[in-house]
Amino acid sequence: MKTVKSMSLYVPGNSIIHRLEPITKLIYVMVAGVLPFILPANPTAVLCLAVTLAMLTISKTLTKVIPLTGFTLLVLLSILFIQGLFHEHNQTFLFRFGPFVFFKEGLSYAARISLRVINLLLGISLLSLTTKPSDLIDSLVRRGLSPKIGYVLSSVLQIIPQMAASVNAITDAQRARGLETEGPLIVRAKAFLPLIGPVIMSSLIQARERAMALEVRGFNANRRKTFLRAANQSSRQTTIRILLILILFAAIVWRIFA
Amino acid sequence: MAILSVENLHFSYTTGQDILKGITLQFDRRPTAIIGQNGAGKTTFAKLLKGLLKPLHGDVYVKGVNTKETTAAQLARQIGLVFQNPHDQIFKSKVIDEVMFGPLNLKQEKETARANAIEALHMVGMENKLDKNPYDLGLSEQKLICIASVLAMQPEIVIFDEPTIAQDYPARERIKEIIQHLRQKGKLVLTITHDMDFAAAVFERTIVFAQGRVLLDGTTREVFAERELLKHAHVEPPHVTQLGQKLGCRETFLTAEEWIRYKRRKS
Repeated sequence: MKTVKSMSLYVPGNSIIHRLEPITKLIYVMVAGVLPFILPANPTAVLCLAVTLAMLTISKTLTKVIPLTGFTLLVLLSILFIQGLFHEHNQTFLFRFGPFVFFKEGLSYAARISLRVINLLLGISLLSLTTKPSDLIDSLVRRGLSPKIGYVLSSVLQIIPQMAASVNAITDAQRARGLETEGPLIVRAKAFLPLIGPVIMSSLIQARERAMALEVRGFNANRRKTFLRAANQSSRQTTIRILLILILFAAIVWRIFA
Repeated sequence: MAILSVENLHFSYTTGQDILKGITLQFDRRPTAIIGQNGAGKTTFAKLLKGLLKPLHGDVYVKGVNTKETTAAQLARQIGLVFQNPHDQIFKSKVIDEVMFGPLNLKQEKETARANAIEALHMVGMENKLDKNPYDLGLSEQKLICIASVLAMQPEIVIFDEPTIAQDYPARERIKEIIQHLRQKGKLVLTITHDMDFAAAVFERTIVFAQGRVLLDGTTREVFAERELLKHAHVEPPHVTQLGQKLGCRETFLTAEEWIRYKRRKS
């Protein structure tokens, strides 16, 4: 039996990072991402990066980061190359690589941008790899996000793989009736209408049935909703969150007055 | 020569999780039911026969043509597959256009395609609904349109995937008649089904799938006589068969008519 692929990047695990409350991780990602823009960029970014890398190692998701960040790293490499060669304030010669002459000012500027971006990217990866999207949405709803918006967010993650499975079933049904869906562009273009028609119709039917199924289970009830799982609250996590927010606040104060 | 043959067929959607494990089968023209619990690999097997999926190992030959060497669309002349869900296929605004879609894909002339479509609609009892919008019809009639749209291509092999799901009594009887008609025309009919009464009443041969393997293969009567093996495959024999077994009869009954004849003979 074929299974529907999940859209989530979550890697199952039971590490201390996995067990952290999603909001704690979200606050960490936000603080670690913003700090290098407020405080002196390079040392702050390096420090935040070190903490994030340590958390990724503890959660055993470090190797999963590479495919997620590979393309961005390639772009950053090209920024390093271009800025090292052509930055407008380039003055101090640093080294020569074949016909290319690299300057300190350009490379330092590119390194600052790269560190900030990598820091942000790894933070988001940490959150995505160690947190189930449904848990994150659950936590946000507990803190006041409208349950309807929460449902919309989580249903997008569910519906897209289901639609992909539905498109596959429809493609199979039309191929079974002699419709060629592989080959040159013209062949695939001709297959578009027979495929898109059932996709739209079945999506509308599914949406109507889903709406009815939700309604009969009290989706629009005016009562306060309860949660299936108990909240993962602890005083230690509250302390971590307060500490992170204080660090951010102190950085902003330092930036304004220093 | 077998019209359809499967040799040492292996298939998996994800590495390490084999759905089908070394299936070897030969199909003659006897109507055949494929049964087994959910997840036994029946629908995957049907898709492999139709060429919609390609074997990981082993081969499937449709009238001597290896499915690895052709496309599902090209195989449509030889083998038709009626899917479970009509919503996966219907997209035209008229019944006749929907049924003509397959024949036209096979490059039949428009007149020939129309004649074949009307003949197929006649077979499923919908010849008076040519200009109706399929979306205005009930699920049962939509299913019959899907059957007609495959029959209109006049394949020699027809596979039905759960044809009796959500069908009322008249529609079930109609599907039985369609299968009998196809049999009389010398076509091979394969059906994946969980409806054991239907399997017992219509099919000469029955194959039981369990965990990606063929557990039983024989005449329908032989297969439904194997109570213990069926239990192992989580398959319940038809009600009339169970009745006979529980009353200690040595015969295996497949239909209520057989049971009545037996009782009359005994009394």
